[in-house]
Amino acid sequence: MQKELEKKFLNDFEKNQNIVHKVCRVYTTNQDQHNDLFQEITIQVWKNYSKFRGEAKFSTWMYRVALNTAISLYRKSIRSIKTQDFDDVSFKIKSIDYDDTKDQQLKALYTGIRGLSDIEKALIFLYLEDKPYKEIATTLGITEVNARVKMNRAKDKLKKSLNP
Amino acid sequence: MDLANYKKVWKDQPEERNKISSLDIYKMTQSRSNSIVKWIFMIGLVEFIFWFSINYFATKSGNFEPFAKLNLMTFLDYSNYLHYLIVLLFLLLFYRNFSSVSTIDDTKTLMKKILLVRKTVKWYVYYNLIGVVVFSIIINVLIFNTPNYLSILYDINPSSIDQGQMMTIIIITQIVMIALMLLVLWLFYYLLYGILLKKLNKNYSELTKLSEIEGI
Repeated sequence: MQKELEKKFLNDFEKNQNIVHKVCRVYTTNQDQHNDLFQEITIQVWKNYSKFRGEAKFSTWMYRVALNTAISLYRKSIRSIKTQDFDDVSFKIKSIDYDDTKDQQLKALYTGIRGLSDIEKALIFLYLEDKPYKEIATTLGITEVNARVKMNRAKDKLKKSLNP
Repeated sequence: MDLANYKKVWKDQPEERNKISSLDIYKMTQSRSNSIVKWIFMIGLVEFIFWFSINYFATKSGNFEPFAKLNLMTFLDYSNYLHYLIVLLFLLLFYRNFSSVSTIDDTKTLMKKILLVRKTVKWYVYYNLIGVVVFSIIINVLIFNTPNYLSILYDINPSSIDQGQMMTIIIITQIVMIALMLLVLWLFYYLLYGILLKKLNKNYSELTKLSEIEGI
């Protein structure tokens, strides 16, 4: 029974790991922190996996656990502060089929997002991932109206940093 | 460039180059969590052990002869029973709080629960600190109300010293000791939880403020 569950989890998680990587890129600034947060999210998803009933899509459910871990549970380790921060988000993502301008724009986007608060990061991340307001509101535990108000402010803040 | 265009840039971003294999994911699930909740739990546990052992050793190794002489043993026994009962209640609360924390809650609820966990630890500390103060006051009042307590406790002939002066010295020494202990503990918790929960408090107030705005 446990083995079955493990197998199913590994399959689900591996297929959707890109979501976790994106959350890590938004909330951390160096490779050590990225790995730490990735590991914590993996532990949290696995710990709660038996409670996942399949009423929602696995990926939708994973967004929630990943963001919750980044916002509420993750503490930046002291060890990782010592290592050099990297600004180059794209250093570990494939550059094939990806031209330089887009690469620069993506870098600018990540830099802009990193300047936002933890909650604003979550809002913008869910916006960029094309999530409907209803889902954003239930993920964060706020009303849809609140989510819209907060989203507009976060967007304005991001726009300012992207087009100074 | 418009944000909608950036959305496209985001969508087109290449996938992570360092894909984690199933084996590595499995290894990660077997490793230990380093979450805030776990740290609060560890600190809570250390506090329990700390206060419990202080109480235990004080009861075990303390010389109770003076208290027996002053007929305070019944009071000591009952206050101990009461203390253990309260500790037990705290343990139950701790267990209930920790088991309710889950990352599948919405973010605001999750943060609220973590802060509640921290609050329980805080109340446990308050209980111990206030308990020490209240207990000391009661014991002192009982002792000072016993006639000839100096000769019973210290084998001193009451007529040979200034009783009022002796009483003042005893009280001042105790107040200074307790005040010092309170200060050290307060500093310790302030720094520890302050650092641990700074980010969480900030995020929680951001979400709470949002609800207040809507209420206007």
